[in-house]
Amino acid sequence: MLTIYKRFWQVNWAEQWQYRANLFMYLAYWLVAPIVYLSVWTAVARAQGNVNGMTANDFAAYYLTLLPIDILTSSITFHIFGYKIQDGTLSNELIRPTHPILTNTLVSNISFKALIMLVLVPIWLVLYALFQPTLTITLGSFLLAVPALIMGFLISFLMESTITLIAFWTTRAYGPMELFWAAGQMLSGQFVPLTLLPGVAQTIAKVLPFQLWMYFPVQLMSNKLTPQEIALNYGLQVVWLIALFVLFRIVWRAGIRKFSAVGG
Amino acid sequence: MHILRVLRAFIRVNLQQDLAYRSDIAMQVVLSLFWTLWEIASLGIIFSNTPSIAGWSIWELIALSGMWRLVNGFMISVVWPNTELFNRGVREGTLDYMFLMPLNSQFHVSVRRITIWRIWDVLMAAIFIAVGLSNSAQITTLPNVISFVVLTLTGLVIIYSLWIVLIALTFWFTKFDNNVTLLSALTNTGRFPATVYPAWLRLIVTFVIPIAVATTVPLQALRGELEVWQILGFVLIGVLAVFVSSRIWKVGSRKYSGASA
Repeated sequence: MLTIYKRFWQVNWAEQWQYRANLFMYLAYWLVAPIVYLSVWTAVARAQGNVNGMTANDFAAYYLTLLPIDILTSSITFHIFGYKIQDGTLSNELIRPTHPILTNTLVSNISFKALIMLVLVPIWLVLYALFQPTLTITLGSFLLAVPALIMGFLISFLMESTITLIAFWTTRAYGPMELFWAAGQMLSGQFVPLTLLPGVAQTIAKVLPFQLWMYFPVQLMSNKLTPQEIALNYGLQVVWLIALFVLFRIVWRAGIRKFSAVGG
Repeated sequence: MHILRVLRAFIRVNLQQDLAYRSDIAMQVVLSLFWTLWEIASLGIIFSNTPSIAGWSIWELIALSGMWRLVNGFMISVVWPNTELFNRGVREGTLDYMFLMPLNSQFHVSVRRITIWRIWDVLMAAIFIAVGLSNSAQITTLPNVISFVVLTLTGLVIIYSLWIVLIALTFWFTKFDNNVTLLSALTNTGRFPATVYPAWLRLIVTFVIPIAVATTVPLQALRGELEVWQILGFVLIGVLAVFVSSRIWKVGSRKYSGASA
């Protein structure tokens, strides 16, 4: 089993290494949103002194911690797998004895991240020098956040994969995907730290899985959570991970039966 | 006129193509409404914490998000689909046929594919701008309104010219599918006044990838924040941009040697 993953890693790494120049461009998409929201909220915090207890420095630290976490835990399944359902090339992968999403697509996601993180490091250092936030990350909080990052990535991966599979029925899944991204921006903590959302929205956001791959790891890494909150969110991660895995399997089985390769 | 007749024909063909996917249009309208709600909610959250950002009130930001929608609509309805066609044309060599046609090639690649139903976005943009402006307490003079309209058009022209330069670069680099990635990634900066950004980012969105020129700048003119020389300066840049970009397009297209031939 491990050899399979190793082989897929070699293939995907080699493939993406070829397009390394393009990575700078793709990175732009991940950079813009955090920098825009960072600027907006620090402008507000500077004018007001603080926003709900958060100072300009708190916002800068929040978004600069969020930036690499956003890249690490987000999924690109829709871009690298969605079209295979649409144009029928999935048939070639279905005759292999490996699960197309749980092996090839998963490894492709990870190798893409490994490469883009290499590009991110110098850019992040420049941003750090430009905004000069006081980060509150310690070695302990960093290590404590590693399992949260891994589970967070798996949750976002399974959720995006499941939505991508809608294409089995509709051929194109762009609509549901865009709804998912929009909801994610608001409820994951990307647009604003969740504590600044109005009451009801905050409660909803904290139960839904979106924050588990963004807000929770960011706050955990920044030493902002109490032991109870950490335990609760880790519990939520396990529950959502299992639920989404089961849902993914069900949708996959049903979708495969529906799949009638168009061309290919 | 020849060009107008061609444009009408393009629009008719595009309309027929779009109407073949009616459920897609419905989906896009739903998404557009959803994003509208999203924008209003996000502005609501920001302004529940502050009365203004960098001196702009919530109504002025609603007007600004209308301006942004106009630019974004232009990106989605014209820039993206035509860039995709252009890149495919370069890759597969079908672009060769386009140069054989008795039609200005720059005009041709600009309007070959227009997502017509996005006219809806222009409508929404107009509503946002009108509602935002009529509720902001600013009293504007006629010269300010005129410079607002002129600068909005100038801004769109500048963004259009930059796009032409970006895709023309493909003639030199051939493998350059990412030609508009930066442009579309930075479009989102237009949702907020450029004055909230740190100086380096403000420079980028004003002069390098000038999104702010079509969003923040016209509204600044309306608020009476710009001097006459600044307004004239932007118009001059717009005229230069048209001239330079069409030159670059001509030189580049002469250099183009085709992929299939």
